[in-house]
Amino acid sequence: MGADSIPEVPLPLAAEQAERMSQRQIKKHHVAMMLLHWFNAVVWLAELITGTALVVSSHYRVMPYWYLHIVEGVFGTKANMLRFHITVGVTWIVVFAVYAVFGFRTYIRTKVLHGVHIHEQPLWRRALALQCILFQSEEVCLDADDLRWLKTRALRILGRSNEPLPPQGIYNAGQKLFAWLVYLAIPVIMATGLVMSYHLIATTVVAWAIVLHFLAVGFVVSGLMIHVYMGAVFPEEKPAFFSMITGMVNELYAYRHHFKWWKEVKMQEREWKQAMEEGSEKSELAESGSPPAPTDPLATAVPLPRRGLAGFLERVFRRPEYWPPYVAGVGLGLTLLATFILMGEGLGASGGFTRYLVALIAWIAPSYAVHSSYWSNYLQPGQSPLIAFLVFELIGVAVGGFVSGWLARRVRIAVDKGPRISRKTRYALALAGGLLTGYGARLARGCTSGLALSGGAVLSVGAWAFMLAVFAAGFIGAYFMRRYWL
Amino acid sequence: MARYAMVIDLKKCVGCQACTVACNSEWEVPIGHARTHVRATSVAGNFPNLLSTFYVAQCNHCDHPACIALCPTGATYQAEDGIVKVDRGLCIGCGYCVEACPYEARYINPVIKKVDKCDFCSARLERGQEPACVETCTGHAKFFGDLEDSRSDVFKMVYEQGAGRLETSEVAIGPNVYYLGKKEHVNLVLTEFPPHRPRMPEAGTVWEKVVKPLVLAAVGVTFLGQAAAFFRQLMKGESLFEDEGEK
Repeated sequence: MGADSIPEVPLPLAAEQAERMSQRQIKKHHVAMMLLHWFNAVVWLAELITGTALVVSSHYRVMPYWYLHIVEGVFGTKANMLRFHITVGVTWIVVFAVYAVFGFRTYIRTKVLHGVHIHEQPLWRRALALQCILFQSEEVCLDADDLRWLKTRALRILGRSNEPLPPQGIYNAGQKLFAWLVYLAIPVIMATGLVMSYHLIATTVVAWAIVLHFLAVGFVVSGLMIHVYMGAVFPEEKPAFFSMITGMVNELYAYRHHFKWWKEVKMQEREWKQAMEEGSEKSELAESGSPPAPTDPLATAVPLPRRGLAGFLERVFRRPEYWPPYVAGVGLGLTLLATFILMGEGLGASGGFTRYLVALIAWIAPSYAVHSSYWSNYLQPGQSPLIAFLVFELIGVAVGGFVSGWLARRVRIAVDKGPRISRKTRYALALAGGLLTGYGARLARGCTSGLALSGGAVLSVGAWAFMLAVFAAGFIGAYFMRRYWL
Repeated sequence: MARYAMVIDLKKCVGCQACTVACNSEWEVPIGHARTHVRATSVAGNFPNLLSTFYVAQCNHCDHPACIALCPTGATYQAEDGIVKVDRGLCIGCGYCVEACPYEARYINPVIKKVDKCDFCSARLERGQEPACVETCTGHAKFFGDLEDSRSDVFKMVYEQGAGRLETSEVAIGPNVYYLGKKEHVNLVLTEFPPHRPRMPEAGTVWEKVVKPLVLAAVGVTFLGQAAAFFRQLMKGESLFEDEGEK
């Protein structure tokens, strides 16, 4: 399929053409979109599990009693479960709000690119644009093709039709319908959730909020089941599932399932190519048409790693630049299990630092340390605050980290920083970040190691809420800090 | 396990509201609301045979409470000793139970926006004290105790002196606040302040009768449709599906 011949309708493909297209990848999803998608998936799972377990009245209950007992058992008390449900829900609302705001900014930027200066428009037009980005109307409007698609899709699943599916845009009609359902339901779910959580407005409003919450969630769930089935189980749409991990789909899939979008991408590619060619017309290299001959990769590259168990062991132990993350994850889990068995407590970090600090303070100003309500927690007469597992564990972490870096030949003195900032800025940021993290860790009574890792391993609700909050805040924070790294 | 109950001796009640005040201050009940309060009946009968008494209203901690079944989250529950309690951590303030209670013993606390009612001063019981209203009652008209303990005052009053429940043929859910006194007095209270049938709020009715079946049907139909499609996929095999695009 050359760039010159973009067909108006999807044509049958020759086998080799299809083969070639299946090798090429097209970018479909922005990374923020994918993160939001999986964040959403985790939130919905957590909220559905706890939400259905919160309705216990025999009149409204939808889950059997054994299920309610199991979920309540995980959280200890139903009040804890409700608190978890509310915490996760509010986090969800905040993340969505942030996403909508930044989405709107991006939308304005693209509109400026296309010559429409939204920020110069009257207010009502800007409000209209906000609604556009919230509802992505250009992408989710149903057209005639979509209606035919819905009919054919249903008939095909039932085995009543072999008609080809009408061409689709970036989202197919099923996805659009689900989007509409979600757009209508999510504000209801959020608003009623807030009303119930904070007992807002009036008793009657709360009374109806439960009903609406249940109704909206119920409808989304029935759509969600199709969404998950189509995305994860249904064979024809499997590339859609992987595109939510990699952000890419292969061209063949795009051609067959989202033809209109494929066409758009191709048109843009052609425009881009033409612009490039015009710009470099004078260059003889470009005239020649063929790209410079690539150097033989095998001639310069390191020998290919061996396959199989031997190769794996070699990668891990002999040339371990970095361990594969899954292996490291399992290793960390086993380490955690070992400390629980041997030491009776899990891993931690900030608690150890606290003890070093307490020892220092008790050495410099002993009377202050003894009388401080916070520091005195760590002081017992006749015993050094340094006699604790975490203190020795931190020494082990430092030694282990050094050995690991030395084995991988990564030991060197360097400042890791983005290209745009100076060393001083990096030092200042690192110090500020360290202070914030340290203070936050003591506020939360634990850090990512002690609270999230060790607490999460024993299914502490606080740990899981903390973990979700850490990832949500990291997601937001990374956006603001990106300039310092890129 | 105990079965706690209260007896109000109508012969001794003087309608002074000391119990109301004690309760309000003990539990920081907002002004305009009450966990317990005393209301006078009108004067009945013909001169000179006139009849009048007081109705001491509070939660009855019924044997078969109407409020519990309607509470969506299970915030209202009955402890093993029979006391009907509210778990404030679970209450969302929907007011379904307020509608349900035949004795109108519940109210939504406007400060905490959650339901509140008499719990026989459970916190005081744990400390070994009597309920605040019993301790303060000026006429010693209120008695609190365990109905399973045959030596208790309430046991004697209920099973030997015939203290009665405020029940009608329509509403008989086993209230555990008993009224001791002349038959006419108890009947007067019952005719002037009859318990209403347990009500379900409109929202709850719509939820149970319309929304729940609708949601279950929607989810169920989707699930069945999907299961059918999945079954077909299994029967037909995946490769056939993938090749279809070529035809």
